[in-house]
Amino acid sequence: MPGRRPIVPKDDSLCRRCQTNEPTITVRTEPLCNECFCRYVSTKVVKRMESFRVKYSDPGKERVLSLPLSFGACSTTLLHILSEHMKGQVERTGRSGYQLHIVHVDDGSGPTSKALLEKVKERFPEHTYSILPVSEVLSLDGVSPLLQPPLSSDANGDTSSQTEPSVLDLLATLPSATSRADTHRILLRRLITNFATNHNCESILWAHSTTRLAELTLAETAKGRGASLPWLVTDTASPSGPQNFYPMRELLTKEIIAFSSLTSPPLDDLILKAATKPAVSTKNTSIDDLMRQYFESVERDYPSIVANVVRTTGKLKAPGVGAEEERCELCEMPLGGAAPERSRLCYGCIRTLPGVRG
Amino acid sequence: MPPHQCEICKITRAQVLRPKNGQRICSACFIALFESEVAVTITSTNLFQPGERVAIGASGGKDSTVLASVLKTLNDRHGWNLDLVLLSVDEGIQGYRDHSLEAVKRNSADLDLPLKIVSYEELYGWSMDQVVAQVGKKGNCTYCGVFRRQALDRGAAMLNVGHVVTGHNADDVAETVLMNLLRGDLPRLSRATSIITSTPSAAPPKDDGAVSFTNVKRSKPLMYAYEKEIVLYAHHKKLDYFSTECIYSPEAFRGSARTLIKNLERIRPESILDVVRSGVDMAKLVPGADGKCKGACGDSKAAGSTNAAEEEAEGGCGSSNTNSGGDSMVEMEKKLQQDERTEANGPETEVTLPANPKETVSIGVRHSHEAYSSLPPDDGIYGQNHEKNGASKATAVPIRTKQEKKSGRKPTRDAAAPKQRLGQCERCGYLSSQSVCKACVLLEGLNKARPRTGVEVGGGG
Repeated sequence: MPGRRPIVPKDDSLCRRCQTNEPTITVRTEPLCNECFCRYVSTKVVKRMESFRVKYSDPGKERVLSLPLSFGACSTTLLHILSEHMKGQVERTGRSGYQLHIVHVDDGSGPTSKALLEKVKERFPEHTYSILPVSEVLSLDGVSPLLQPPLSSDANGDTSSQTEPSVLDLLATLPSATSRADTHRILLRRLITNFATNHNCESILWAHSTTRLAELTLAETAKGRGASLPWLVTDTASPSGPQNFYPMRELLTKEIIAFSSLTSPPLDDLILKAATKPAVSTKNTSIDDLMRQYFESVERDYPSIVANVVRTTGKLKAPGVGAEEERCELCEMPLGGAAPERSRLCYGCIRTLPGVRG
Repeated sequence: MPPHQCEICKITRAQVLRPKNGQRICSACFIALFESEVAVTITSTNLFQPGERVAIGASGGKDSTVLASVLKTLNDRHGWNLDLVLLSVDEGIQGYRDHSLEAVKRNSADLDLPLKIVSYEELYGWSMDQVVAQVGKKGNCTYCGVFRRQALDRGAAMLNVGHVVTGHNADDVAETVLMNLLRGDLPRLSRATSIITSTPSAAPPKDDGAVSFTNVKRSKPLMYAYEKEIVLYAHHKKLDYFSTECIYSPEAFRGSARTLIKNLERIRPESILDVVRSGVDMAKLVPGADGKCKGACGDSKAAGSTNAAEEEAEGGCGSSNTNSGGDSMVEMEKKLQQDERTEANGPETEVTLPANPKETVSIGVRHSHEAYSSLPPDDGIYGQNHEKNGASKATAVPIRTKQEKKSGRKPTRDAAAPKQRLGQCERCGYLSSQSVCKACVLLEGLNKARPRTGVEVGGGG
């Protein structure tokens, strides 16, 4: 049967792409060498950055993009790849198509993150950096009243004082691990979105991998938030604030982790290793934890299925949102159809904040 | 610890801890509550017309037994005036279906509802035991699922019933939502979450008001009921059901989704209904017109119904088993990897679209009608000259022999660009977007291996 292109037999003891080096890693089914693998990873990211090419930005009018950095493997790797991308743009055209504003939310868990941030700044000095204390979530519109009861009124609007522990305390009063994890995620996202809006960032570049997006898809589905999925996992205009982008959406977590050690110099010392929690009782497991564990195993054996979940959810169409459309007071997703009548909260948030009646 | 009082009537001792919300209530209150919740589901969705004839798909398992009992109770209580019958499919699985059919027969007597049993053997000439002997245990669920869908529709048509209700519960629906997310099947996801799925017939309704087997509605009145509560209801009502799962093994995909649902329920019991809700909401976001059928199907509703027959046909055994052959996660992974490679390298062979099949029809139209006894329903004599073994109309799926290869199909509908749209199988007349429906394709494969003398062509012209 004649093929469209001649099929050259490949030597499987060599890298599938360059056929010169020894392979060091198998990606999906291809054995690749270090160099080809790193090129594969950065190409996947750069391809998603099409809309930020130099030709789309007017000289002297920088497009500013916000990049939330948690010091996890994904966000640190994204920062690295984009830094290289920008360097490439400058080399080719004399300027770059965008600027990055790196945001780290400090949950006050220890001095390590401050030290890490210094190291990151040293390695990538060309970007702007900001640290946001997690306590700022309480100054977001409508959040403090929702997180009552135990919040004392003096914390309200007082951003400079010692309110840091109180946010975590407030979260701790929520009835289940799922509610805590869910609310935490929503508040962080709102905080970052709010920050990006206030700093004139036109988009937010989230470092979610394929695996992370698949986790998010199933977790949000299980929390009754199916209606807001298109805004959470696709590159669409957000109903509030800047547009969301997921440049790492075609890379598996394991590929990103491999990249972070294979790239030179490695990023290992810039990454905060997440302590993998041992499987505890279901009482303390959240839905997010369950999905994380589930996709960890699916990623190992069935990577294409993980990718398929993300591709599929990507096909969901976000309905158009009018400016005056009512939004949920907690997660800020449009309420249209996803909330009981006259509720100020969507179904998912009603579930997560028991005792709060819409 | 002192015994808890029922939180509703405050009189009796609580006997039930509601799986759905942790409420402690007594047996009587639980039964009343369960029934009223099903009644709300039915009335709020206008599921039934007054006086409608409804067939309850009865397997003898807990779900359909509870469904039959609840419907009978509600029908009497609220005077819905429904004409209820039990409809069972005998797949022909020794040691499983024969026992469960006994349970159905006892239910039929207890509830005083008529019972109709249709068997694969009688419809297709193959019992599942024979199919398994032929194809092995792997992948046999495909046959069973495809055959069942048609069997229920054909059984309903024999009873002249246009509406079949099935016992799918909230856990089943939630499981299907997750499974279809994992499989990347959005159209099926959106169908799984609609309480009623109708397959508007390609054939116009008959003048005499008889129900055609291509025009039978399906609905799931228990889709908001928890599996655990169904078991509790059956227990407290002392219902007689058969609880063994099918002896032919379940496959990995649904199993994976099922485990996930059970774990979710353990973490947060409400999440089963939340998954269902998410599924319903996501179904609204599935692009319709510009989706798979590229606008050819018109509005999204039409697009949804196009694949109805085949989609549900693949639903397999609903709760306990899966699903079509490509469903094991291993196979799915392989297929996806292949797709990825094809995308990266370009297809190895140029594939050209075949000429529109509808244009190649002209020869042999008459001949094939007679040979396959698959007259288009508008010929008006459908069901009159091809009964098999004296069974009433629409029973026999004609079995095609080898030499009758050429197909005939009247170019009745507009022959636009090749597109997926609902038509009828040219052999048996069942709904299909292909020229030959899945059941006939499967049967052809089975019959090839059967000795020649064993084949009987249904109808002789």
